[in-house]
Amino acid sequence: MVTNAGTLGRSGVHDFVLIRASALVLTAYAIFMVCFFVCTPQVTYAEWVGLFSQTWVKVFTLITLISLLVHAWIGLWQVLTDYVKPVAVRISLQFILNIAALAYLVTGIVVLWGV
Amino acid sequence: MFFAMGILMWLLAVSLGSESGFECVQEWSSSFFAKFIYWGILTALAYHLLGGLRHLVMDLGFWEEIQSGNSSAQITIALTIVLSVLAGVWLW
Repeated sequence: MVTNAGTLGRSGVHDFVLIRASALVLTAYAIFMVCFFVCTPQVTYAEWVGLFSQTWVKVFTLITLISLLVHAWIGLWQVLTDYVKPVAVRISLQFILNIAALAYLVTGIVVLWGV
Repeated sequence: MFFAMGILMWLLAVSLGSESGFECVQEWSSSFFAKFIYWGILTALAYHLLGGLRHLVMDLGFWEEIQSGNSSAQITIALTIVLSVLAGVWLW
């Protein structure tokens, strides 16, 4: 069995499952956000903070950011292994982009902590 | 999509940080340039999301023939255009 250190899943099948499971969470959150903005045409600061101060919205947002990390990590690995053949370029790109995705997650935790 | 998330996380951090930050984001968001960026992000998201849903259906074993695969792809693109136009209307 081919084992690979660059991707997130333990195997190709694990990647397959992870990317789809995370996609469902991301889709749910996208729909949630669209509904929020459509239902509140003029968002005020109070409403905006009110939304993100609710615990379930914080949990949903953080689960979504974790799902985004998983989805992006595996997705980018698939794209980079397809198109970027030189190893040095590929692994440095993977490193930078995965760190950025991790930074999005940590930013979310830090920001939501204070709301 | 990846850079779009960077922009959105930045906007979220600033807008939740303080009331002045929120007004700053609100002010910026009303400019044409900002709306164009939002529209680009929403269109990319629509295309990516609909394409992903189509893949989920294909995982279930549907749309795997040349005819059904082709037509479902065209429907996905058509739906993306519809959502993109809706996003444009909503933004402007």
